[in-house]
Amino acid sequence: MSAYQLDVVSMDGPEFSGNVQKLLLRTIAGDVEILARHMNYCTSIGMGTAHVVMEDGTERTAACIGGMLSVMNGICRVLPTTWEWSDEIDLDRAKAAKEKAEKALNDAKLDAEARVRAQAKLYRALVRIGSASSGQ
Amino acid sequence: MAANMKAVKLRIKSVETTMQTTKAMQLVAASKLRKAKEKADASKPYLKTLKDTLTDIAHGNLDFGSPYTKPGTNDKWLYIVIAGDRGMAGGYNSNLFKFMESETKGRDITVLPIGKKSVEYFKHHHVPIYTEAYAEVARVGINDCFELGRLICKAYSNEEFGHIFLCYTNFISMLSQVPEASSMLPLSDFIETDGSREYTKPRDLILYEPDSETVFNEIVPEYLAGLLYSGINVSVASELAARRTAMEAATDNAEELIEKLNLYYNRARQAGITQEITEIVAGAEEL
Repeated sequence: MSAYQLDVVSMDGPEFSGNVQKLLLRTIAGDVEILARHMNYCTSIGMGTAHVVMEDGTERTAACIGGMLSVMNGICRVLPTTWEWSDEIDLDRAKAAKEKAEKALNDAKLDAEARVRAQAKLYRALVRIGSASSGQ
Repeated sequence: MAANMKAVKLRIKSVETTMQTTKAMQLVAASKLRKAKEKADASKPYLKTLKDTLTDIAHGNLDFGSPYTKPGTNDKWLYIVIAGDRGMAGGYNSNLFKFMESETKGRDITVLPIGKKSVEYFKHHHVPIYTEAYAEVARVGINDCFELGRLICKAYSNEEFGHIFLCYTNFISMLSQVPEASSMLPLSDFIETDGSREYTKPRDLILYEPDSETVFNEIVPEYLAGLLYSGINVSVASELAARRTAMEAATDNAEELIEKLNLYYNRARQAGITQEITEIVAGAEEL
């Protein structure tokens, strides 16, 4: 299968640069898979697990949240808000974050803004837990 | 004379203790600075690509009308001011506040302070504060920046403010840090070309999903969050550099002071000895 150049640059600096066969991730409009020779394309990223199939056929997964995906002239750029490879995710921390967020959401006195914040934290934790377990 | 000598000795000791503190602070700031500088540089490629994409979208659409690019509807200004949590950093905080004063003269402003010093200053000067949720700059992480990005986008869309500015200290070099203010919203510079990119060529055809405006409006809060995060990182690096320079100067001054005091102490000691000898000789002659 032919490969193409993929660059992943997050706010903390470059995360990945190299040739890959495919990239599957969740955008705000649903899941998309980018293969080689994709047309010029741009969308913003939702929350989900990204699957990257490397040139040698091995697959790596990552928790990918927010940001933007663009394909320009054969080069695919992913600019996520956060990008964590599954094998680098601290599962215990993610689980602790999930429990904390759930506890906060169960509190009836929580105001609307804090509720939204807790909900976002819960989603993030769930995505990280999901990505960590899919990478094993 | 003896009492005077004791006072000088004590003073030397106290200056020495101060010097130890300033020396330690200098070393800590210097070692933290390298990491902070790397962090500040790391977000640059991300911001550049996001900005280029936003510019491409804004120019690719002739009937483009995102709420974030429209000029502000009222004359209220929101300033996000990033200062430090602590003092002892030379003119880092005061330079920023002085700059803010001259920048905002005659404007109807509200501030969103980041950093304890910033909160203190604006409270003291009775400037209306938008929120105090981000008082400690050391605790503001990437997630807080995204929250803040969404918050200011909402405030702008609800027409609470007509202009949103970010005020921070730019890191020029190890020895020079300059306070700056940059516009966050409206994003008028995406419509006017700054001359660095030519838009006369036929454009590349790009497929936007679901559509270009939705993508643009989704990316704007991220971009602002990125600007904020990078502003905070640059400010932190500036603060450390300022502290390092200030503490270096303080250590040098302490060294100089100790030298002077030592000289004074030795002179006083010598004078004491001379006086004693004179007394002894005078006494012997009497006999």
